[in-house]
Parts: sequence; C-alpha cells; structure tokens
Amino acid sequence: MGLIQRAIEEADIPTLSISLNRTVTERVKPPRAVLVGYPLGHPMGRPFNKKTQISLLKESLTLLRDIRVPGTLVDASDRYRFK
Amino acid sequence: MIKPAKDKLLASIFTNSPGLVNLWAKQADIVTNTSTPWASAASNTLQGPVALVTTAGVHLIGQPPFDMDDPEGDASFREIPSSTPAGALTITHNYYDHGDADADINVVLPIERLKELEAEGFIGRIARRHFSFMGHILGSRLERLVGETAPAVAAEMKKDGIRAALLTPG
Repeated sequence: MGLIQRAIEEADIPTLSISLNRTVTERVKPPRAVLVGYPLGHPMGRPFNKKTQISLLKESLTLLRDIRVPGTLVDASDRYRFK
Repeated sequence: MIKPAKDKLLASIFTNSPGLVNLWAKQADIVTNTSTPWASAASNTLQGPVALVTTAGVHLIGQPPFDMDDPEGDASFREIPSSTPAGALTITHNYYDHGDADADINVVLPIERLKELEAEGFIGRIARRHFSFMGHILGSRLERLVGETAPAVAAEMKKDGIRAALLTPG
C-alpha cells in the first residue's frame, strides 16, 4: 500500500494511510501515516461501530491536513484499541 | 491442502495474532525507503474532493474479481464510484480474514462514513470515485504496480482534482 501512496503523493496529492503494523510502515516510510491498534483486515475497527469509524476518520483527515514533517507516523489515540 | 483453503487458514491465523504479523514483518522482504515524497497540504485541503484508496481487494459485484490464482498477486485496480451503495460491493482477497469487512464494508473502505462527513460539512466534497487494489503483490506484478497501475491511478485522481487521499489496507 505504501508504494501506491508514494505514487499518489508524487502526483502532488497529499496522502495519509492507516497503518496496522509499525515495522512495515517504518520501513516503507509513507509521507504520513496513523498507526491504529487493530488486527489485519480492520483498519477502521469493528463492523458497525459507526461512532468510532467517524471519530478515526476525522482524526486521520485532520492529521492529513496538519502534519508538516515528511515521513511522520502518528500513534492513534488509545480509544482505537480493538476492544 | 488446496491453495484457497490454505490461504484462508493462514489469513485467519495472522488476523488473530498481531505478534505473528510482527515476526513476519521483521524478516519479510519489504522495500526499505530512507526518504519519502511530499506534497504540501493546504489549510483548506479538506474542502476536497477527498478520495479513498484501499488495498483490501474491494470491488463492485459486477466487476471482474482480483486474480487469486497468480502467486505474485494482481496489480490491477478497480474504480468505485461514490454513488455505489455498500450492498453493491464485495471483496476478493484470500490473504486476510475479511469476514467483518464483508459484514460492514466501512471496516476497510469507509465510503459511507466519508459521505456522512461531507453531509455534516467536516469535508467540503467527496471524490466522485475511489480506487481499489489488492495487497500482497510480488515480483513482476510489483513491477507493474510501481511502473504502471499505481501511477495510472494517481493520474486519474489528478484528473478528478483530488486534494486529499486516505489509504486503507486489508
């Protein structure tokens, strides 16, 4: 996914990815990423958990707009643990 | 064991064992980059259009599924119009457990949630279409992804005037 993200960023479109694994993301080094504590297959958390999905989407888009340092990987808030 | 059954069993084990994913990631042959491209985001970038890109193998039921028989994966992509109802989407991807995403597509492609953010004014405008790939692309298919299909999607997004893109894995 990081390779696709880099191609889009190279086309001058700001991007942010949801990351499920710190090791992979640190190696691929996308322009901006937010690390959530969710298992594979669940970048936006549990099904039908609309409140959390909206909250994570808002946090991600805000980071996309506000991150100023290339290669920044942010840990999402604790509320995005897979409870 | 036949390949799809074996893939699904492994996907289920990995999905339920983050520690195993970490072990895999530490030894896997992943590209290691020391620099990253950068496009500055303007303060009004969320006025949009805002697009989604996923590698979760999502596609319209009527579109050809991703090729799960090629061990190097499938570097092609599918366009997902914003007007697509969630019920018209499906997932072809045997390398992760998508049972929860099958039940609620927003788990991997938050298309309904993004529409709601447009309705409430958090973003200005949602893109008219989004893009989907499958992950797990290797070898010659990876070359096609990097040299052809990923830049093609970027060019299509440019045509749509996309100002922010959120990417989600499978």
